[in-house]
Amino acid sequence: MTQYFQDPALWGLIAAGTPVAATAIIRGRKTIAELRKEKQELKAHYTSLEEHYTESVEEAKDRAEEDTKTALKSAMRTLQGLAGEQQLVITKLQEKYGDQQILQDLLDIDHMNSQFARRAQSIAVLCDGWLGRQRSAASLYDVVRSAKGRIRHFTRVEIRAQSNFAIVSRAVEPVALTLAELLDNATSYSAPETMIEINIRPVPKGVCIIVDDAGVGMNEEEKNRAAKLLSSERSPGVSGLGNPPQFGFTVIGVLAARYGFTVSVDSTSPYGGVRAVVLLPDELLTAMPEPELRPDPQLKETPAVAASSPMPPDQGPAAPAPTTSTAFGGQSPDPDPISFGGQGHAAPAPTTMGGLPKRRRRGAISIVPSAEESAQGTDGDTEDVPRRSSEQAASVMGAFQRGTRSGRRSPNAFTEGHETQ
Amino acid sequence: MTTPDDPELELEAAPLVRAYVITNGRSLPADDEFSLITLVTAAQDMPPTGQLDPEKRRLLDLCSGGYLAVAEIAGHTELPVGVVKLLLSDLTQAGYLYTRAPVPPAKLVDRRILEEVLHGLQARFG
Repeated sequence: MTQYFQDPALWGLIAAGTPVAATAIIRGRKTIAELRKEKQELKAHYTSLEEHYTESVEEAKDRAEEDTKTALKSAMRTLQGLAGEQQLVITKLQEKYGDQQILQDLLDIDHMNSQFARRAQSIAVLCDGWLGRQRSAASLYDVVRSAKGRIRHFTRVEIRAQSNFAIVSRAVEPVALTLAELLDNATSYSAPETMIEINIRPVPKGVCIIVDDAGVGMNEEEKNRAAKLLSSERSPGVSGLGNPPQFGFTVIGVLAARYGFTVSVDSTSPYGGVRAVVLLPDELLTAMPEPELRPDPQLKETPAVAASSPMPPDQGPAAPAPTTSTAFGGQSPDPDPISFGGQGHAAPAPTTMGGLPKRRRRGAISIVPSAEESAQGTDGDTEDVPRRSSEQAASVMGAFQRGTRSGRRSPNAFTEGHETQ
Repeated sequence: MTTPDDPELELEAAPLVRAYVITNGRSLPADDEFSLITLVTAAQDMPPTGQLDPEKRRLLDLCSGGYLAVAEIAGHTELPVGVVKLLLSDLTQAGYLYTRAPVPPAKLVDRRILEEVLHGLQARFG
């Protein structure tokens, strides 16, 4: 190797070749750098293009979804309104023809109408639409029964326990619809002869409604998918329902997120099927709406009766009631407990042993209206005492006198119709 | 979801629990079991009522005051008469209620006897 170092030719070559090589190398590097730059630019361009593309696709998709939702929402709104109207008409017909053979058919029609309304309602939920008419607070048992009536095979559903809980007004429809969807799943995925069992159980955080079916159950994959749908804040929308579309869990997920309850379907029922658990937190619960139900029949007794056409029989037979009951040895012919459906109401008068209505002495008012009352009755102003006319003053004074006199005459008249009679 | 200013919210809503759910889809009883004037009253020694449906408890409340006609009972509830009859029939079979045939109409009285009485009276008093 060393012999080459002494060769002048080599040195010559080196001297001549170095600059050439250096230039070549520098030139090459430059080209490479340029190419690299170009490539980077291209890459950036491509990325931005890609981003824009995704964005616009997403945008188009969102817009399409929104358009679909708007269209469906308004369509469903009409259908829901019609179903509601029809339900009212059916209700009236049922009362009108309550004693005839046609009632059976009316009940069937009512059932179909309820299912139809529920379908429209579910689609409306997916479109952020209208959930239905506002209901007043209702007992949990009634909400569960309402849900039961919205599915096809409702006779397979057995409600095992009643409860003392009620659901607040705004949550009545969402909870009923949720349960209806769960029951629909339960009846669809189990054998026709098996029962679906509903239990209501109070828990520290609220109340659980447990739906057990004896169906085939779900595999892990199905459970995961269900859990995802049930817990997701954002609904997959109408286009994300899959084919064939699966409404149930999607609808339930939307309702649960919006009204603040939780639904899980990840456990197995004692019968081998699915156990669905709806947990209603305390915020959605209220006391039993007993006082709200009570005034209802009372309203029917007052002039409003004329408004509700199916009620006339209420008036007719109500009058002879005391006669009937006394004639056949009834203990209490007082019609009040009958019409108000129980004791504890403000109005019903107690009865004596003899069965006569016992009048309660109402203090001085029974003789003459009190100062406030008479003032209200005459000029409608309780404070304005000086404006009372002399006639009024005289009548009040006279009444006062009559009152004290009659009071003195009957020293122990606390009650009329004493029990010892 | 429901907008509070929705005008339709003010409209009347049909009862939450539908009649066919109350009957649980069973077919309605035949007409001969209960007529509109069949009389019903609560039994003296009633089984516990805890597990009964609210509608049945209400019927028992109505009947607790003495004999009432089916038509009257139906008038006090908001249920169709046929449904009330079914519930009453359930309650009767379960021992909560006694029923009593309507007051027998006068047709059972023999017309001949009445005529004889009439003739007797006419003969006696002119």
